[in-house]
Amino acid sequence: MSTFVYMTRCDGCGHCVDICPSDIMHIDETIRRAKNIEPNFCWECYSCVKACPNHAIDVRGYADFAPMGHSVRVRREEEKGTISWKIKFRNGTTKDFVSPITTKPWGKFIPKLAEGDKPNQGEINSQRLYTEPEGLNIDGELPSVPKETFKKGVYY
Amino acid sequence: MAKHKTHFEDCDVLVVGGGMAGTGAAFEARHWGRDLKIVCVEKANIDRSGAVAQGLYAINCYMGMQWGENQPEDHVRYARNDLMGMVREDLGYDMARHVDSTVHMFDEWGLPMMKNEKTGRYLREGKWQIMIHGESYKPIVAEAAKKSADKIYNRIMITHLLMDEEKENRVGGAVGFNMRTGDFHVFRAKTVIVAAGGASHIFKPRAVGEGMGRTWYAPWSNGSAYALPIAAGAKMTQMENRIVLCRFKDGYGPVGAYFLHLKTYTQNANGENYEKKWYEQTKELVGEYIDHHPTPTCLRNHAFIQETMAGGGPIHMVTTEAFQDPHLETVGWENFLGMTVGQAVVWASQNIDPKYTNPELTTSEPYVMGSHATCSGAWVSGPEDLSPPEYFWGYNRMLTIEGLFGAGDTVGGSAHKFSSGSFTEGRLAAKAAVKYIEDQKANDIKVSDKQCEDFKTAVYKPLENYTVGRNEITGGTVSPSYISPIQGLQRLQRIMDEYVGGIATNYMTNANMLKKGLELLKWLEEDLENVGAEDYHQLMRAWELKHRALTSQCVTEHTMFREETRWPGYYYRGDHMKLDDDNWHCLTVSRRDPKTGKFTLEKVPVYHIVDENEKKKEAS
Amino acid sequence: MISTNPFLILAEIVPPFLMQSFVILMGLLILVGTIMDIIHKKNVKYFFNNAKKAKLSATKTLSTGERISVISKTIASDIATTSELGAGKRRVAHVMGMYGTILFWVGSVVMIFFYTSPGSTTPAVWPIIWHVGAALTVLGGSWFWFFLRVDVYSEAQPWFRVIKADLFVLALIASSLFGLIWSYLQSLNLVGRYDDMVFLTLFIAANLVLFGGVYWSKFAHMFYKPGAALQKNLAEADGSRDNLPPEADAPEQFGLGIKREEPKHY
Ligand SMILES: Cc1cc2nc3c(=O)[nH]c(=O)nc-3n(C[C@H](O)[C@H](O)[C@H](O)COP(=O)(O)OP(=O)(O)OC[C@H]3O[C@@H](n4cnc5c(N)ncnc54)[C@H](O)[C@@H]3O)c2cc1C
Ligand code: SF4
Ligand code: SF4
Repeated sequence: MSTFVYMTRCDGCGHCVDICPSDIMHIDETIRRAKNIEPNFCWECYSCVKACPNHAIDVRGYADFAPMGHSVRVRREEEKGTISWKIKFRNGTTKDFVSPITTKPWGKFIPKLAEGDKPNQGEINSQRLYTEPEGLNIDGELPSVPKETFKKGVYY
Repeated sequence: MAKHKTHFEDCDVLVVGGGMAGTGAAFEARHWGRDLKIVCVEKANIDRSGAVAQGLYAINCYMGMQWGENQPEDHVRYARNDLMGMVREDLGYDMARHVDSTVHMFDEWGLPMMKNEKTGRYLREGKWQIMIHGESYKPIVAEAAKKSADKIYNRIMITHLLMDEEKENRVGGAVGFNMRTGDFHVFRAKTVIVAAGGASHIFKPRAVGEGMGRTWYAPWSNGSAYALPIAAGAKMTQMENRIVLCRFKDGYGPVGAYFLHLKTYTQNANGENYEKKWYEQTKELVGEYIDHHPTPTCLRNHAFIQETMAGGGPIHMVTTEAFQDPHLETVGWENFLGMTVGQAVVWASQNIDPKYTNPELTTSEPYVMGSHATCSGAWVSGPEDLSPPEYFWGYNRMLTIEGLFGAGDTVGGSAHKFSSGSFTEGRLAAKAAVKYIEDQKANDIKVSDKQCEDFKTAVYKPLENYTVGRNEITGGTVSPSYISPIQGLQRLQRIMDEYVGGIATNYMTNANMLKKGLELLKWLEEDLENVGAEDYHQLMRAWELKHRALTSQCVTEHTMFREETRWPGYYYRGDHMKLDDDNWHCLTVSRRDPKTGKFTLEKVPVYHIVDENEKKKEAS
Repeated sequence: MISTNPFLILAEIVPPFLMQSFVILMGLLILVGTIMDIIHKKNVKYFFNNAKKAKLSATKTLSTGERISVISKTIASDIATTSELGAGKRRVAHVMGMYGTILFWVGSVVMIFFYTSPGSTTPAVWPIIWHVGAALTVLGGSWFWFFLRVDVYSEAQPWFRVIKADLFVLALIASSLFGLIWSYLQSLNLVGRYDDMVFLTLFIAANLVLFGGVYWSKFAHMFYKPGAALQKNLAEADGSRDNLPPEADAPEQFGLGIKREEPKHY
């Protein structure tokens, strides 16, 4: 597939180059703008499309099996915590969708464990992980299986 | 090429791969090791790397113990049933009992989880799955890792593990190169947690042009999680257990929400429910496994494949009924937009509106991974309180190499973990790694400069091959002395496809084909010494190819060793077409000798630690 | 020094009409280069075809008043302050270079055409504009070239790598830099030395490369970019928006996530 970059919209900021998990968005040497250098390794993950501040990147479905004339475009707005999609079929039908992408301010409720309470002495030898057992919201301790019930071989 | 700088970094916990499992490991390691140096090395950019780059629409592994929805043993029974009995129940139980706390943390951090309006609980998609608006799933967990780790290295591909020269069979760290600056990086570490994701592009994909990119698992999952431990001599398990998925045609969009939430169903081109037709035939192959509820995934695949071969295709999913409900229609589309946008693109391009057209399904090419519905990966120790003595050697999730841990796709035998389970496994591995260090097991590790220098020469050899070999020809891509990474990849895919049970043979293989496959893979291994890379991006592709080739060898060896068809629908052994519980109700474990390159395989017993019958729910 | 008209001093050895012809020649080179680019690439044809196609998905027709408002805003913001580059170093460097070049060229034309006849007095403002413009161009351009170029910043290419895309910015920096050095050396009035002549030659050469290379460099983009910005803002106003979804109707309450970081993770 692939992503392609609109000549009139790209200003060479580098966000797409920085984010692509496949390392295939790179800078063209003649015009210093972004382009997809290996479309057959593009997953259509839209990370670059979402990252571009100028909405300069768009996707044309894989040439192997996607007829032309379609469009699936996105607007990811971090400050509003929303992502908006506009799908346009080859026959002109359009569909719009808006979803949330976060419920809390980014990073604010992710703890910095270095500053949190230290684990108790000897807790490293237990089976509990951070926040457990309270974080499981169950009564009592972590579930386990008594070793006497172990069996071996064909069971059913 | 210019001389490459070498950077040395000494750390305590090195996490290779910043995916779901890697972020979990980096996060939890800080809680247990306040003063330890924790470093995470990621091949791409941790904010959008791995299988969760485009987001997820569901968390496929959540018990719901707080509401009495499921218990860990239920999940073990489910995974065991789906894998026809072949799982590590201790690993599965361990993951299942912790996964709830992981999911609750995600909710705390801001991941939008859909709620059931009536009960206030997380909205269930199916028995194990809950629905989320997970477009930013990866950025959120990546932030957690960034807050815990001392440093996150991005754009560095780890190519080899370092071994300790002081003590036999102990890990010493890892080496890799930065695909932007070109520098060589040596990470000397007391413990290494490999969380480098599964393997796609091992078998030839259905689309071979641009469409190669639309693999079901990400094209950047190159099997490093397997190749790194295999090359170091760790034991691997269940590598023959590759997965074939039944997904929407061309786009490989997910069908889970459709079947479970929208309650759609499949039918063949004549409008028949074809699955019933194949009951008897499947029963002859696998016996009473076909009578289990729910039907194991591979057997449903098997019915699909048989139906298509018998001429009943194309097989469709009936969506026209469900899509009449506007809420379900929104769920159906957003399911793709938050997880596999490519499917929405395919339908938009082909004018497929599920309200009026029933979309086509297909079975994919095979993939190898450990966190999804199959469990290929490294052979690891389980937790002390759950593991039979044969499955436990000191530290949870530690491989058969001291100090080397695994999480996520890397770990074999624990199936149906998915994203939350992988993150949880990362946490388990991190805690065990910290304990390993605190128990003074990681003292006096010695990694010589020579070992690093030898790796450095090997890492940059493809650049050398190209630069020198380029002088022989005028131009173009054809050279008698080097091959490009894509040429090598296409050759590998063809070998696996034709001989090891790919789509070319409808997933069929036998001992003769596998022998031939091994021979061709050996020649490919030799030729990969001559892979040529033009620049650092191509160098990364070259090493991805090398890791894939090594993983493929292991997969082929395992497929040869297991002389039965345990998972019809994933692959078939033509010379042993039946499921053989008398001889093969066991796990397969292999080890590749790092010096000779020879694989040795053995059978290992399956311990069933959870009983068959479901415990009756306590009357409230 | 910066209030002395360097062209007036030059007029002692070079006749003014030669300097003026040179300026006109540079102008012609821009014209020819751009027209050749347009004819060869057919980019203007594409641009208007695309605008017509986009109009088909417009949800409303803009009145003349609305159009004028959008166009004025585009000129005042996108074009005059390069707002598409967002807030940051790239925008500051670009604005510096852009206004520096405008001042430098305007100053050159004014001084060469109006203040090179023997015995004329140049108002101090023009040489100051000329020198300041050149200095801004050198500063903004060099800052961009050494540190901010995306292939250096995000792709980790070495700063000394020169590619075809560098033709315009390097020629621009060279022209301003050599012009400044020439003006400085000339003002020192060193007897028996020809250093200022060397830099005058380099200054002329840089201008020839800059204006002669219009067909091969990114020079003409300075004409295309404003057109693109206008088309983009008009499309946003009339609802066609290049098939993009509209902005979501939600409060900005969550802060920045991955967008708070610079695109340099390696
Ligand atoms: C299409 C699709 C749909 C899915 N749907 C769901 C779902 O709905 N719900 C759910 O719970 N799960 C789902 N999953 C599964 C889930 O995404 C995986 O189980 C999980 O991401 C695996 O985690 P991991 O850390 O093992 O691998 P990954 O997340 O893939 O991470 C591996 C990381 O390692 C890095 N890496 C690889 N090689 C190297 C190297 N040599 N050096 C350095 N770094 C390296 C990669 O860049 C990557 O970041 C889905 C997966 C896919 C592909
Ligand atoms: S869609 Fe994804 S894989 Fe393709 S170029 Fe963009 S970021 Fe890379
Ligand atoms: S993110 Fe957009 S504007 Fe920036 S370089 Fe990429 S395509 Fe161009």
